[in-house]
Amino acid sequence: MRQPSVTARRVAAASVSLIVAAGAAACGPKDNDAKSPGGDSQPHKGGTLTVLNSNPQSDFDPARLYTSGGGNVPSLVFRTLTTRNRENGAAGAQVVPDLATDTGRPSKNATVWTYTLKEGLKFEDGTPITSADIKYGIERSFAAELSGGAPYLRDWLIGGADYQGPYKDKKGLASIETPDARTIVFHLNKPEGEFPYLATQTQFTPVPKAKDTGTKYEEHPVSSGPYKVVKNENDGERLTLERNTHWSASTDAERKAYPDRIDVRSGLDSSVINQRLSSSQGADAAAVTTDTNLGPAELAKVTGDKELASRVGTGHFGYTNYIAFNPKVKPFDNPKVRQAIAYAVDRTSVINAAGGSSLAEPATTYLPNQKSFGYTPYDHFPAGASGNAAKAKAVLAEAGYKNGLSVTLTHSNSKDFETSPEIATAIQDALKKAGITVKLQGLEENDYSDKIHGAKTEPGFFLAHWGADWPSGGPFLAPIFDGRQIVEDGANFNTGFLDDKSVNAEIDAINKLTDLGKAAERWGALDKKIGEQALTVPLFHPVYKRLYGKGVKNIVISDWTGVLDISQVAVK
Amino acid sequence: MSEALVASPAPAADSSASGASGARQFWRRLRAQRAALVAAAVVALLVLVALAAPLLTAIEGQDPTTYHPSLVDSARGGVPVGPLGGIGADHWLGVEPQTGRDLFARLVYGARVSLGVAIAATLVQVLIAVVVGVSAALGNRWVDQVLSRTTEIIVALPLMIMSLALLAIVPGSFPRPVLVALVIGLIAWGTLAKIVRAQTLTLKQLDYVAAARLSGWSTWRIARRDLLPGLAAPLITYSALLVPMNIGVEAALSFLGVGVKPPTPSWGQMLTAADVWYQAAPQYLLLPAGALFVTVLALTVLGDGVRTALDPRAASRLRVGTGRRGEARADAGTTAGTDLPRPGTPADGTKEATA
Amino acid sequence: MSGFGGFVLRRTLGTVITLFAISVIVYVVFYATPGNVAQITCGPRCSPAQVHQVAEQLRLGDPLYVRYGHFLQGLLTGQDYSTGTSVQHCPAPCLGLSYQTDQQVMRLILTKLPVSLSLVFGAMAVWLVLGVGTGVLSAWRRGRLSERVLTGLTLAGQATPVFVIGLILMIVVCGQLELLPFPQYVNLSDDPEQWAWNLVLPWLSLALVEAAAFARLTRSSMLETLAEDHIRTFRAYGVGERSVIGRHAVRGALAPIIALNANTFGSAVGGAVLTETLFGLPGIGQELVHAVNVVDLPVVVGMVLVIGFFVVIANAVADVLYAVADRRVVLA
Repeated sequence: MRQPSVTARRVAAASVSLIVAAGAAACGPKDNDAKSPGGDSQPHKGGTLTVLNSNPQSDFDPARLYTSGGGNVPSLVFRTLTTRNRENGAAGAQVVPDLATDTGRPSKNATVWTYTLKEGLKFEDGTPITSADIKYGIERSFAAELSGGAPYLRDWLIGGADYQGPYKDKKGLASIETPDARTIVFHLNKPEGEFPYLATQTQFTPVPKAKDTGTKYEEHPVSSGPYKVVKNENDGERLTLERNTHWSASTDAERKAYPDRIDVRSGLDSSVINQRLSSSQGADAAAVTTDTNLGPAELAKVTGDKELASRVGTGHFGYTNYIAFNPKVKPFDNPKVRQAIAYAVDRTSVINAAGGSSLAEPATTYLPNQKSFGYTPYDHFPAGASGNAAKAKAVLAEAGYKNGLSVTLTHSNSKDFETSPEIATAIQDALKKAGITVKLQGLEENDYSDKIHGAKTEPGFFLAHWGADWPSGGPFLAPIFDGRQIVEDGANFNTGFLDDKSVNAEIDAINKLTDLGKAAERWGALDKKIGEQALTVPLFHPVYKRLYGKGVKNIVISDWTGVLDISQVAVK
Repeated sequence: MSEALVASPAPAADSSASGASGARQFWRRLRAQRAALVAAAVVALLVLVALAAPLLTAIEGQDPTTYHPSLVDSARGGVPVGPLGGIGADHWLGVEPQTGRDLFARLVYGARVSLGVAIAATLVQVLIAVVVGVSAALGNRWVDQVLSRTTEIIVALPLMIMSLALLAIVPGSFPRPVLVALVIGLIAWGTLAKIVRAQTLTLKQLDYVAAARLSGWSTWRIARRDLLPGLAAPLITYSALLVPMNIGVEAALSFLGVGVKPPTPSWGQMLTAADVWYQAAPQYLLLPAGALFVTVLALTVLGDGVRTALDPRAASRLRVGTGRRGEARADAGTTAGTDLPRPGTPADGTKEATA
Repeated sequence: MSGFGGFVLRRTLGTVITLFAISVIVYVVFYATPGNVAQITCGPRCSPAQVHQVAEQLRLGDPLYVRYGHFLQGLLTGQDYSTGTSVQHCPAPCLGLSYQTDQQVMRLILTKLPVSLSLVFGAMAVWLVLGVGTGVLSAWRRGRLSERVLTGLTLAGQATPVFVIGLILMIVVCGQLELLPFPQYVNLSDDPEQWAWNLVLPWLSLALVEAAAFARLTRSSMLETLAEDHIRTFRAYGVGERSVIGRHAVRGALAPIIALNANTFGSAVGGAVLTETLFGLPGIGQELVHAVNVVDLPVVVGMVLVIGFFVVIANAVADVLYAVADRRVVLA
């Protein structure tokens, strides 16, 4: 997504870093308490669903969107080759076919992926969707004018690194073949067993070349999904979606599309969104939000009110907040110093600063605590609930700092309750007990993001977070710990500069696996192994809690997005 | 506005009498106003509290930065445990939600930052405004043109936006409270400079200044000896109003995420963090809001009092039959100046914040 | 000093110079703002090669003066740009394209301006009624309890940041009492009634913040006038107190109120950032803060120019009105 705005303060953990632009709505989780009180709880077609958001859908071009699993509002308009399973909990972390008949047929070494389109697929104007439209959609995402998406297509497709998109290069990308109107074949430069996950992203949306208007396409993208855009005001601030009559439920097992109309209003203050949802007056009774979580203050109020509490959806998105070290900077080159900090961290006060135990769960692993990621519990440097100052001091003494240590912790000044001053202060307070004096260095959001992702400017000790591009260990571990992904002259995410042959080799080996369950186990084991180096200190995994209006039914929250799936809700 | 206004020549007024008798008169007049005295006491108390913050918190046995995780209910978003936000013998005003930090300590330390930043910013504003305003009024046509134009430009720049940019440019190692004070001071002096210029132009017409000019005094000497005393009244009055306004600007900058940085507490920052807690932990919001309100009220009343004491015209209203038309007129040219409670423009962009 | 024509000419020239200076200042300041513009525009996971392409497209590699020259050129002659599939024209005065959204900045401003103007014009009516009303009343009933209560209330409004007042108003009025719907902007042309209802709270919040200034100014100006000879003469001749206050004292306070009002109005057009943010009004202020955060230089420059324009114009209008209200003043 684009940089979170300062004005989107209080959106506690809402900004799922790289991913959320597409926003997913959140809500009532593991049902039970989500069943609407009284009346007919069966979902019916009809009505208008209102979406109250803080960030406008200013990117509404499938090429520019950076989503996990196709996003929430975008997923109503854009269908992709594969998509996320729209079910509660862990079942929702699976990848399922969407436009394609299956999740993809790999070649033996997983370098060639072949998809066949379902029959009877149509755009909103009734023209049939062909494999060429999907190829064109992907090619557009390479144009500099339409940048913004995830890096995988560029990194994986043969010739992807040099391709400049269809506006400059009319020949197109040879590694995507369309032997007939219903078949599309991808040629990758290395084995990638997780390609089906990638095919859920909006870049895999068909775009009819004749209707492409370049940077203006987002004003009215051509729908392949159950709804089409009938109004797009102020660059995505107010969207009105109505049924796409050429969409057929028989080709789409995932989207329920109960409401007749969807009205998206954004640019709202997050506290106002939550207040409106809790009051649930008039049209707000049929309202949800796809980008605003309950903050701690609101949670304090909600938990005291049974009616409100019954309208809170809880979900888990694969996401980790952590302390990162740059081992090139002294004294963090010394593993003992990194370990001492790991021992000293007080996760209880960090979690309180992040919104309390209902909004954050303590993390001792880098991978999120979900099965699809291959979660393998470990706690190499046990700090207990509130820090082990004695052990930290002992380790520090071993490292040669008997009289304590003075370090600088870099954080951002944004109000995201993730890398924000509140969290930094909690760490400062805990490390004091272990004899470590922490000086805080708060940077403005842009400056912070520039510095921590610059190989030459990266501070030694800073707050960071990482979110899942899809619910698997691959996009979680590879960008951060694969030595070949160190970028010297651009945005670098391998902040620990880990270039370990055995780690690199294991990453390659896992990428060859097309059995995603087996791959998950190996990712988990790899995480545990990398954890020993203490290049990061995992702090917490956020929990998303979101309110929805009184009249909203059929709440589905998957572990893929952690938020209410807007394609499933009904308002009648 | 005043740029286009040349106050019509005003007859001499006895307002700028300087020297020992003037000071005595001033104190006598000030003492005569009960409200102003109370306000002065309140302001003095606030400053004292700010200065004595370490002592006060030592008596309480707390400090503004230590976390008390056990005093907040983590499962409920970190709302303070216990009645009234955890008020008790240990924590006189309760604790902050989420962190459990002591609110009394944060409030008194916050007074240091808020008052300090606001007063420092005001000094910068007054200094620049006097230099620019007086130079424009006394200089030749070109000097006046250039300075007035510059003032116009400063007035037209949105304070909030320029602050956001400037605060982002300066490296994080620069002490933040000083930076915030400087930025506010450097951007929001336009209206005050206009007032100073207009007032100086008025004073320039006065007999004794004219006499000084005719007798060949240097411009600098005239400025120092004759003009500055005459400018004191509007400056002091206006400054008393600028201080609370600047507190508000700091709060607004905090709201936008670029104010004073945690863990340093400031009232603005507390307000910003607290407004969402209004329902769950009302005292968290009410404390800094109350402190801000008392400060603004006291400074405003005091400013009025000082003005009345410095400016006999105000006093003349109370007497019957002594007011002369000319005096009122002299005032008209600068009314907007001496009396604007919240000078329209320094507030540019912050308008709301401030107030 | 050749009368009104000369005044207009001088002011127009002054406005142009001021706006020009503002654009230069903003360009320089934001040029120095940290943040890798190309990386932000491209997206966090863009490769160095992609970032380079974007930087080239946005002409970020050019030196500052070249970029500024390009901006001026667009302003005077318009500018052509590519959407990838076609070439579009941005007519003069073209403020350029947003780095982030590729929208024409001028169009962006034209969609945001009505919102800001709706907010500020309405709030102005409220702060004038509230502020001047309070001021008149307190001058009239000087020293009585009602004066103190009123003055205290306006000061409370002034002392409380708008984000606190606004939020509490919203929670109480919309959430608990359910007197009004939660505000969301409706175009005046779409539905004037809904437009007004939805703006009641924003108007009130912004006005509460401004009213105290007007109350104090009104009060002191009136007291000033009441002390003048002719008023005393009226009183001596037995003119009623109501008439003295209503017809004469208020008139005397008119000029400074007009001046303050113009000033407040001008700066609120782009300065109501907090009100717009809180109430979700898609106005100039809200958009500008967002643009600053993403270092979207063309949008920032364009919007700051518009704000500066309003401030300068408002001040010029104030001078004229001031002169009309108070003939002792000479336009220069």
